[in-house]
Amino acid sequence: MTPNRSIITRISVIISRVENLTALYALLAIVVVVLGLVSLPFIAYQNDQLYEKTLDPESTLDPYDRGGVPFGTTPVKAQYPENSPYAGYVTAYLTPFSQWLADTTHHMGTTIVAHPGGIIDEILYNTRGLDTVVETSILFVAFGIASYLFRRDS
Amino acid sequence: MFNLPTTNIGGPELFVLEFGDIVTYFSPYTAALFVFALIFTVLAIVSRPERQVDFAFGGDAYYTKVVDPDLLRFQRFMAIACGLATLGAMVTGDVFNFTLFASMVGITNIGIVAAYRNRHVLNAAFQYGIVAMLASIPLFGGAAIVLASTGTLSMWELFGGAMAVPLIAKAFLVLGVMGEGMAPFYIAKAEITRAQGAPFILMVHVSSLLLFLRVTEIVISM
Repeated sequence: MTPNRSIITRISVIISRVENLTALYALLAIVVVVLGLVSLPFIAYQNDQLYEKTLDPESTLDPYDRGGVPFGTTPVKAQYPENSPYAGYVTAYLTPFSQWLADTTHHMGTTIVAHPGGIIDEILYNTRGLDTVVETSILFVAFGIASYLFRRDS
Repeated sequence: MFNLPTTNIGGPELFVLEFGDIVTYFSPYTAALFVFALIFTVLAIVSRPERQVDFAFGGDAYYTKVVDPDLLRFQRFMAIACGLATLGAMVTGDVFNFTLFASMVGITNIGIVAAYRNRHVLNAAFQYGIVAMLASIPLFGGAAIVLASTGTLSMWELFGGAMAVPLIAKAFLVLGVMGEGMAPFYIAKAEITRAQGAPFILMVHVSSLLLFLRVTEIVISM
């Protein structure tokens, strides 16, 4: 340790170690999160939400029920309705099996939405379709990396 | 079509492509970034890896380094995926969509770096992976706060100035992109630019630079 190093030298010595960068970023994240916690009470929740959601615990499709009639016009609020002219047409459609599940039990809402032929969430797939594409691409890339690293030695 | 409100930053809209609520747009600024990313994606597709030779000091001996075809193929795939994610992040007109593309850039950067077998490189990739995973929290948290406090995610609405986006949401967005775009620090340290199969590393630098430029535009305009 040389005693009279400039401040810039000291900083650059610290951040030149890769291990310290993680700690530095964590410190920055903590500072910003604390600022966020302090300022959180001053952020007002906007009641006029674009992708609003009401929960009806009595429904058999519970957390995913958006109401409506199959192939009717269910009102789905979108930012640019002119870009999604068919939004709300198939929101309430269930395949016979899904309908049977919905009629039989109150506890299969997530299963119904997760299996093929279940609820089609049009906010997800119609008005925000590009998000779905990018999400699956991220998963695909992550699986690609994992499989490459796993099979590299064989 | 929708009259992009802040013409003083990004310039007038040149071209608009609608994906439902996600309205992708080209302004002179984003179009310039898009073309830049496109050029480097094409370079990643057509470029061939360096075949390096190490000379032993003080003698005639030299080593030729072997480029592993599997590694090459994988890294090229990751570099192209990284380029596509960067292209998307440059032109998207939606805050949440932007964060998704940014995190995809982070994941592909991890893929490019983690493919090497060198111990120092893998250590750097591990450290960067921690940061990139941690960064997804402020990144998506920022988008969530934007949605909660304004009720919309579309940049066309947010750029107008009628919506007050909280400062903390912008800080979260910048912090998240900082984490995802931190890869060049690790790359410089681990000297991957001098490893065999080097040209694909370029994509890491390009994507980080462009992400920073884009998030600056978003944060200033909001």
